[in-house]
Parts: sequence; C-alpha cells; structure tokens
Amino acid sequence: MTASPRQLSTNHLLGIKDLQATDIELIFETADNFKDVLNRPIKKVPSLRDITIANVFFENSTRTRLSFELAEKRLSADIINFAASSSSVSKGETLIDTVNNILAMKVDMIVMRHPYPGAGVFLSKHVNAQLVNAGDGAHEHPTQALLDAFSIRERLGDVAGKKVAIIGDILHSRVALSNILCLRKLGAEVMVCGPTTLIPRYIGSLGVKVEYDLLAALKWCDVANMLRIQLERQDIAYFPSLREYSMLYGLNKKILDSLDKEITIMHPGPINRGVEITSDVADSHHSIILDQVENGVAIRMAVLYLLAGKRG
Amino acid sequence: MDSLLIKSAKIVFPDTPFHGREMDVLIEGGVIAQIAGRIKADGNRQTVIDAKGQYLSPGFFDMNVNFGEPGLETKEDIVSGCAAAAAGGFTGVAVRPNTQPPLHSRSEVALIVNRARPLLVDVHPIGTISKKRMGEELAELYDMKLAGAIAFGDGDRPVQQAGLMSRALLYSKGFGGRIISYPEDISVAAGAKMNEGVTSTYLGMRGNPNLAEALMVARDLYLAEYNDAPIHFSTISTAESVDLIRRAKSKGLPVTCEVAVHHLVMTDELVAGFDSNYKVSPPLRTAKDQKALLKGIKDGTVDAIVSQHTPHEIEHKEVEYQIAAEGIIGLQTVLPLALSAGLTVEQLVDKLAIGPRRVLGLPIPEFGEGAVANMVLFDTSREWRFDQQTNQSRSSNSPLLGDTLKGAVTMVINKRQMANTQL
Repeated sequence: MTASPRQLSTNHLLGIKDLQATDIELIFETADNFKDVLNRPIKKVPSLRDITIANVFFENSTRTRLSFELAEKRLSADIINFAASSSSVSKGETLIDTVNNILAMKVDMIVMRHPYPGAGVFLSKHVNAQLVNAGDGAHEHPTQALLDAFSIRERLGDVAGKKVAIIGDILHSRVALSNILCLRKLGAEVMVCGPTTLIPRYIGSLGVKVEYDLLAALKWCDVANMLRIQLERQDIAYFPSLREYSMLYGLNKKILDSLDKEITIMHPGPINRGVEITSDVADSHHSIILDQVENGVAIRMAVLYLLAGKRG
Repeated sequence: MDSLLIKSAKIVFPDTPFHGREMDVLIEGGVIAQIAGRIKADGNRQTVIDAKGQYLSPGFFDMNVNFGEPGLETKEDIVSGCAAAAAGGFTGVAVRPNTQPPLHSRSEVALIVNRARPLLVDVHPIGTISKKRMGEELAELYDMKLAGAIAFGDGDRPVQQAGLMSRALLYSKGFGGRIISYPEDISVAAGAKMNEGVTSTYLGMRGNPNLAEALMVARDLYLAEYNDAPIHFSTISTAESVDLIRRAKSKGLPVTCEVAVHHLVMTDELVAGFDSNYKVSPPLRTAKDQKALLKGIKDGTVDAIVSQHTPHEIEHKEVEYQIAAEGIIGLQTVLPLALSAGLTVEQLVDKLAIGPRRVLGLPIPEFGEGAVANMVLFDTSREWRFDQQTNQSRSSNSPLLGDTLKGAVTMVINKRQMANTQL
C-alpha cells in the first residue's frame, strides 16, 4: 500500500475520547487497505520492520493479545511479550519502572492492558514511548470500539444514523464506554440496555438512551452488541445469578424471530453461549462476530502503522 | 523573642474593641505590651513591621491534619508538619490518629504532646474511638483524654458499626469527651475512588455517591440525638450533609461540622486527567455540592474550614490513580484557597481561627494588653509561589505545587515564639 500523507492527531491511542472523527475515518481507510493485505496469499507488509513493540499485559487476555500480536507480525515489527498479574506488580515494581525497564531495551511502542482505569493516560505522562491502550479497567478499549464500528460500517455501509444497542454489563465495561464514544463521534444513535444495577446512574450524560427491556431495545435497534457477562469478576454481586440474567437479557432465536426486521448481532467475545446469547443466534447469519475478529487485526495494524508514522 | 512592633495592622479580633480598626501593636517577649493608634518605635533591638494593608487576627487553627508521627515520619513528622502549619498561619492544629500505631492509647497521645511541647504550634492529638482503629471495640478514651487527647475519631476509617458509634457517644459524654465522625458508609461507597457523577461515568470509574456520606451523617445525627451527646462531622463534602446538619442545628442538637478547603474550590472534573494529586477522601464532588458547602459556611451551618493536610511520599502518589494514596498537603494553601472561594476576611477568620477552637472547647486567643500573643498577620493581596522552596512539608503531594497563589501569611506568633514566613 502507499503511505498516507494524513496523520493522526494524537501520538498515543489511549482512548476514543482523544480521537477526532477524522482520525477514526483515517484509521478505517487504512484498515481497509490492510484488510486487503490480510486476504492476499502473502499476508505481510514490511512497514514496521524497524519497530519493536512490547505487549505489556497486566491482566489476562487471550484474544486481544493474539490480535495485537498478529497485527504486529503482519507489519513485520519485532515483538516482545510481558505478562504479569496486577497483584504481583502492585506489591513490587511500579508501573513506570516496569515499563521503563522494557523501554531501556530499545522498544519503540507499548501495547498495554491494565486493570486500572487511566493507567495508560498516567503512563503516557511518564515514559518516552508511544502507547496503545489495549484496555484499562472499565475505562476504555479503543481498538475494540474501532473494530466494532468498522464492522458495522462494513455490514451496513455506514455508521452515521444507525441505531446501536449495547446490551449487558455497562457498568464494568470498557467496551461499552469506548463503543458509546466512538459511535456517537461517528453519528450513530446509541442505546444501552441491561439490569438496572449494571447501568451507571449518569450514563445519559454520554448522550445515550437507556432501556431496561431487552425486547424494546431489539425492536429499536439496527445492531445489537451483546456484551460478555462476567459475574465471577464482579467484586459485588449486582444480580443474583447467571440464570436470572439470562432469563431477562439472554438473546435467543425466538426473540430474534419475533422481530419484524433483521438486526445485526455483535459480540466482543469470548461468548458465554447460553448466557448472553444462545448458540443458534451466535452462529446465525445475523451474527458478524467472526467478522469482528478478522477486522480486529486490520484495525490494530492500522492503529500501529499510523502511530509509527508519528514517531519523532 | 525580643521587642516587636507591628505598625498599622487591620485588627480582626471579633468581640474586642479594636475589631475592624487599624492599630499599632507592641509585643514584648511574646506578650502584648501595648495596643494603640500610634506607637513610636524605640529604635533599639526592636523589629518593626509595616503592616499597612495587612490583617492581624487570632492564629488559625486546623482541626484536621495528618502528621506521620509515629510510624510514618517519611511523610511528615511533627516538626516539619508544624513548620508547614506556621507557614500557613496556623498556631494550633489537631492531628488525626492515622498513624502507625494509631493514636489509640495514652502512650501515643503522650508522645505527640511531648514532641510538640517546644514548638510554636499547639498540637492537640485526636485519639481513636476504637482499639487499633479497627472499628470494633472502644479504645481507652478517658485515659487518652487525661494524656491530652482533644477529641476522638477513627481518622480516615469511618465507624461502620452503629452500636460502636452509639457507645462512643454515650461513654465519652460522661467525662466531656468529643466524638468526631468521618461519615461514609463503605458498603455504599463500594471502594470507589472518585465521586459518582458525569465525570466518573465518562472515565469508566466506579463512583462514590453523595448517599454514602449523607446516610452516615443521618445515622450519626440519630445516634447523637438518642444519646444526647455532641458530635462533630469531619470534612463533609455533599449538599445533602449540609442540609441534614442545618436541620439538626435548627432543632438545637449539639452538632458541628467542618469542610476541607479544597472542596470549596475543586470539583470532580479535575480527576479527568487521572492526576492522583486530585485524589482525596471524601472525593471532590460537583459544583452543586460546592455551592451548598459555601452556603453552609455563610449561614453558620459549617463551623470550621480545615486543610485535611495529608502528606504522602511520591511513591504513593506517582502511581496509577486507582492505587494512589488519598490526600493532599494543604496547610500552606488554605488561606489563598479560602480567599479564592470568595470568603471575606471576617468569614475566614471565623472559620479558621474562632470556629474550630469553639468546636474543640479551646480558648479563643485574647487580644489585649498583658495577653500572650497568639496571632497571625496576613496579606490578602500579596502573591507568592508555592514550590519546593516555599513548601515546608516533607511531602509535596499538592496539585497547587508550582502555582502562584494570592493571599500570603507574613507572620505568626504563639507560645512566645515568632515565625516570619514571608516578611
């Protein structure tokens, strides 16, 4: 592909809140090109062969890390991986020290997942490297939001004017927050839906509608993004059981068939089949869940490529 | 100290005949020797201060500070803490028991009293309510009172058990002890590190709702009323708390409260950059709460303004917001912040010098010939820079470090000692 003369307005990707709509469009156009590359026999370009990237994960992740690693490899970057549980780190070395130790080995970019909101914002003020936030607590997960919006654009032609319902645990979800910010910047209408205890009290301030009834949300929307429910990761039980959650907010074929229109089903993965979504829905033609996964690599390639272009 | 002549100071000693007038004050050996419209300098070995345009008031008293002694001296010790206090215009402080070990028995209380004895600043320890500050069993309140504890509170650990708080109020009443409630229901606050609101939603952070504080204020007002005992609330931060306390006061209940000065000038929007210097407990609230707190100060619902001076080493602050320690150093920035909140000189002297001493049953410094001088001279229009040079604290966790602030303390006198900070 030919290098784009346009540049991102930021030096890091810490959150969707730092991006302009034009940045998002630039990332999408770049991702379009990389998606072509991914479907060629040789799925690799030499763009970042002089760049070393550290994937620093203070929280468990399988698919986000795989996706970043693949994106980095497709761009010919050198990669190192660092994983540590946040508990062991919080007792010992500070975050700044950990990352500076990695950077001392001539690493150019950091992809970081961290359990605490704002960890990336904090780190960006104290280290000399470009940062990509791969999820910070319940704050942001910008590449997920970008790939979700990119997938909507791919499926429905455009994001502007579309109605997207985000369903599930909004309170603990960085995916929800980044999605809301991204979709709003691109001109979509957004609704959140879930148990009352999992909807932040002031969520309306983000310019979204709130609905507690799943069927009403589905009737309203063009796209339903079903979030993963992780009861075991909540330190307080905000609802009594997965069974009861599923009774109220589980999406099954019967509900889907009762709608008088086709809607697109998304899920950031990994799916709890039978909890937030049944298998027949996850595997149906409504679902673009696997497209999201494929697009994730293209989006992350685009983000890394564009940020590398901003290096001093 | 020798002879000191303060020329043309505007006197702010309410209930004295000099209040509101411009006077010369002669202080000999720490005692007020003469107050007159014009006193001639005697030339020899006398310090003369031209205080034209400056205010002379009772020394400020901060009833909510944390010095790290014992156990946490790398944050602050009594000497460095008192230096910061004097620089901020304070001639008296009450130290909270957030120490290691906590001030929970006679020996820790006596340690503070002894360590502070030679210093300019009067230091009054606040003993814990509960043993080891665990919120379970009553500590030896009476013994601590005998050793010098001015009041009792569990510091930054709100007492969760209503039964314990009730017993503390009832028991301490028997010997004139005062109970301080730091009101927060921790099951409602749910470990949140910032205020619940629009900003916390935007940041994906769990929010600590006003409810967590108001519920506890309501509970403790019931307990105080039931036990017919006085109660003081520390650092209330919400509009709801102001309303509850205002209503309780109008019913005639012996309730008092204080507000941290940062809550008057800062809101939760400042947390948006994840700067841990804005992490305080209770958290920074909203403009609506700020307005209610100011109204409470002006209508007398709020008795005192405090710094809630909470020093921390950089290792506890230069970390992720979520795990950073709570609190800011505030002793030196109270005056400029109170002025920027729009308080008049009379209001701030009332809340910084008179109110806190009334709450704690301490005498108000006298202003008359023959009285031992306990006073502060300050200039509301002078600008100064709060930086590593002027900062007297051992710690530097303040969002104001590096800022130019308006409102300077020029001198304090107490216990026959003088500190001229910015003469």
